[in-house]
Amino acid sequence: MTERTRLLTELRRPDASEFGGKSANLGELLAAGIPVPGGFAVGASAYRDFVRSTGLDGTIAAALSRAADDASKTIGEAMRFAPLPDGLRDELGARYEALGEPPVAVRSSALGEDGAEATFAGQQESFLWVRGVEHLCDAVRDCWASLFTPRAIAYRRRLGAGEEAMGVAVQRMVDAEVSGVLFTCNPVSGDPSMVAVNASWGLGIAVVGGETTPDDYLVSKITGEVVRRTVNPKHIEYVPDAAGRGTVRLEVPPERRERPCLDEERLAALVEMGRRVEHHFGSHQDVEWALARGESLPGALLVLQARPVTAQPRPAPKLSGSAMSLVMGTFGVSRDEE
Amino acid sequence: MYPYYALFDESRREADESRFWFWNSMHFPLPMPAFDVACIDSPYQAVGAWQNRVFAVPPAMGIDYRIVNGYVYISGNPVTDPDKVAERVEFFQRRAGRYYQNWDELYGKWKRKMEALIAEITYLRVPDLPEYEPDEVMFEDDRNTAFYEVLDAYGRTLRCGDLMWQHHFEFLLLGYGAYVTFSDFCKSVLPDIPDQHIAQMVAGIDVLLFKPGAELRRLARLAIESGVDDAFVEGRTPEEIDAELRTRKEGRRWLEELERVKDPWFNMATGDGLYHYYRSWYDDPSIPYASVTGHIRALKSGDLRDRPTEEIQRERDRLAEEYGALLDDDARTTFRELLGLSRTVFPYVEEHKFYCDYWFLTRWWSKVREFGALLARGAFLEDAEDVFQLSRHEVATALDELLLTWATGGAPLGPSYWPPIVARRKGLLRRLAEWTPPPALGATPDAIYDPMSIMLWGVTTQRVQEWARATEGGSRLTGAPASPGVVEGPARVVIDVGEIADVRDGDVLVCPITSPAWAPIFPKIRAVVTDIGGVMSHAAIVCREYGLPAVVGTGRATAEIETGRQIRVDGSTGVVTILEA
Repeated sequence: MTERTRLLTELRRPDASEFGGKSANLGELLAAGIPVPGGFAVGASAYRDFVRSTGLDGTIAAALSRAADDASKTIGEAMRFAPLPDGLRDELGARYEALGEPPVAVRSSALGEDGAEATFAGQQESFLWVRGVEHLCDAVRDCWASLFTPRAIAYRRRLGAGEEAMGVAVQRMVDAEVSGVLFTCNPVSGDPSMVAVNASWGLGIAVVGGETTPDDYLVSKITGEVVRRTVNPKHIEYVPDAAGRGTVRLEVPPERRERPCLDEERLAALVEMGRRVEHHFGSHQDVEWALARGESLPGALLVLQARPVTAQPRPAPKLSGSAMSLVMGTFGVSRDEE
Repeated sequence: MYPYYALFDESRREADESRFWFWNSMHFPLPMPAFDVACIDSPYQAVGAWQNRVFAVPPAMGIDYRIVNGYVYISGNPVTDPDKVAERVEFFQRRAGRYYQNWDELYGKWKRKMEALIAEITYLRVPDLPEYEPDEVMFEDDRNTAFYEVLDAYGRTLRCGDLMWQHHFEFLLLGYGAYVTFSDFCKSVLPDIPDQHIAQMVAGIDVLLFKPGAELRRLARLAIESGVDDAFVEGRTPEEIDAELRTRKEGRRWLEELERVKDPWFNMATGDGLYHYYRSWYDDPSIPYASVTGHIRALKSGDLRDRPTEEIQRERDRLAEEYGALLDDDARTTFRELLGLSRTVFPYVEEHKFYCDYWFLTRWWSKVREFGALLARGAFLEDAEDVFQLSRHEVATALDELLLTWATGGAPLGPSYWPPIVARRKGLLRRLAEWTPPPALGATPDAIYDPMSIMLWGVTTQRVQEWARATEGGSRLTGAPASPGVVEGPARVVIDVGEIADVRDGDVLVCPITSPAWAPIFPKIRAVVTDIGGVMSHAAIVCREYGLPAVVGTGRATAEIETGRQIRVDGSTGVVTILEA
């Protein structure tokens, strides 16, 4: 096999420049013994082969001199009908076969440190519950196409960002009974002693996409106490399409809407896992996770991705000075009077 | 019923109306009986004396109070002249510094002073009025006649009360100040830390206030071990339980042990507050007996397990260690220093309540009751308890007449004069108890600077603004605080992404949810309010990146808010206020 694809277990942080931050991070997580659904990564060189072999590179360069909407339309149409190079198609097929041909999630993995990608706040694509090598190839190409949405083009222009290329992560799909996001600090207050968890029924897109108001938990890392628990009515959930491909959006049955989707045991497992991820990366992490349907802890809990917390929480407003000068401050003795 | 100076008065209306008064519901949740006003006057004399005249806390003198319909409103006197503040800084730093540096030694002295004072009030004799004075009045140099003895005892009772309040506040400001500084520091670097954890890190294992409860658990265990636990039947009075215990040798031993525990641990009060209503466990043993009965049941069913003190100690050290480890080096140093100082002052902060508010005060009220009994025997009152319906000065007047007529043999007016007053005031207090006082009166300040109001009563700028808003009648919505900051601006309600072209610069976006498709409008707007979504939803993430306040998951913002209405979005607390048009 060439360097165009690699198993996630073989990736480490320096591979972010070729395979993208998301895939490199998944490799790091696996290396740290954190349970992540298995899979493989498609590198930027695969994308470059693709645009070169199909002559798309010229089309793209020409289109990008025009307005974002116009460029997006031209490139999108050209890409949709461009075939993947045979070698790449075979390689994806072999990787997929080695994985056991399960339903997979295909996600874009922007090059460089993953933090930069976060600024897109969901502007890049994920394709869930993809089955069969044909659809896998389509999904990979669709991820690449998402480089050229009007928003992505405008965004790169605003930031003056460089080359348009990306990696793609292909992972075994988890049939999530509950999923959500976990921050290893409180992203609003910046408190480093808290783990903040949002959770909702079904696949994580309902939470990440802001389509449902998730249950909201704030748990002390130090004692494991749940210091805030807000259970919200969860009206919709995404589940795998029974027809075999993609996902469907369903109404949550009334009796489940207002039920908390995490109990103490699951929260404790999440907090423990969050602490491990934070410890491994040495910084606060934003972790997407899922609890597999029909399985029990600890095996049920899987990490789907982790990245540094976007918009690093404000440094907590710090009272500075010696202890005694702070006490004096409590009594209204200001600093310049000391 | 209340002193003239305790009321709002026409002559100082202008000054009082421009001040901010808040109901001190923490110490005075009930309408004040006339005698209990002593527990307003003395504490505010004492707190002002220490704060203003001894320590000279730079920005704050003492605290004024006014009674409105029986309820106590207070207002701090600020020091506004910068020269004066600077002058006071010198006093404060020198004097407070001396206390912090010599805390343990000074606090040791304080405890001895309090113990002596408690002994004095306990053994202070309220003599009866005899038909004939005994021979000793003639033959012993230090015996006086009863009229003098009663007047002297009453004067000493009041002076003991004043002295207790003076002691009470000697360490209070500095003790609370150190603790509050540690607590504020923790909350600034660990904004979500539960108050409980701060307290756990500071509290010692041998806190006096935990002792009474611990002793009752020990007595419960002793009852089981010595086989007398069957005497503790739910529903029995303490007398019935005692009677049964006395029939057995082990029972009598248990009662002896109880006697040892009573001094001092039965000086706990049955309520938490500065009123004569709260008696001690001595006066009302039904509370500790019910506790022992409950503990016996829990011990036998295995529900009650005392945590070993070493475990509590380990947990306290573990919390301090792990929280400290989350901080950077500078913050950790300050954290540890403040924690150390808080642990030094903490015994006082906790224990003064036992010494002053429970032990001394329950005995003091009982002593006042003895004067009530004296007045009742002279038919000045129907019941000893009625003494609390008179002010301490009226009691002095009533005693004067009682003693005068005892001495002269004349006919007193008191029996027809005082009972109607008592009856009227009791009825008044019942009616006043039905009224709910507003949290604050007078002018709402923009900000609260008075350290004492903040420290002791938690009256902060934020609290005051909440009170003011509650009375403005403006409606409020709450949601998850998703991105910090406070802004005001005109609302723009956008239901569908197709309408985003209507959004103008400076609008506050009010929408059901947002998705990446809404991206173009974020540079234009000042804040976001959504109906649904959590703190990790798209709107929340993007707002944090743009530094815009956001409140998400309000449930009904698009239904409640109309485009063009001024709204205030507080992304730190999750409150959206619809301002008056």
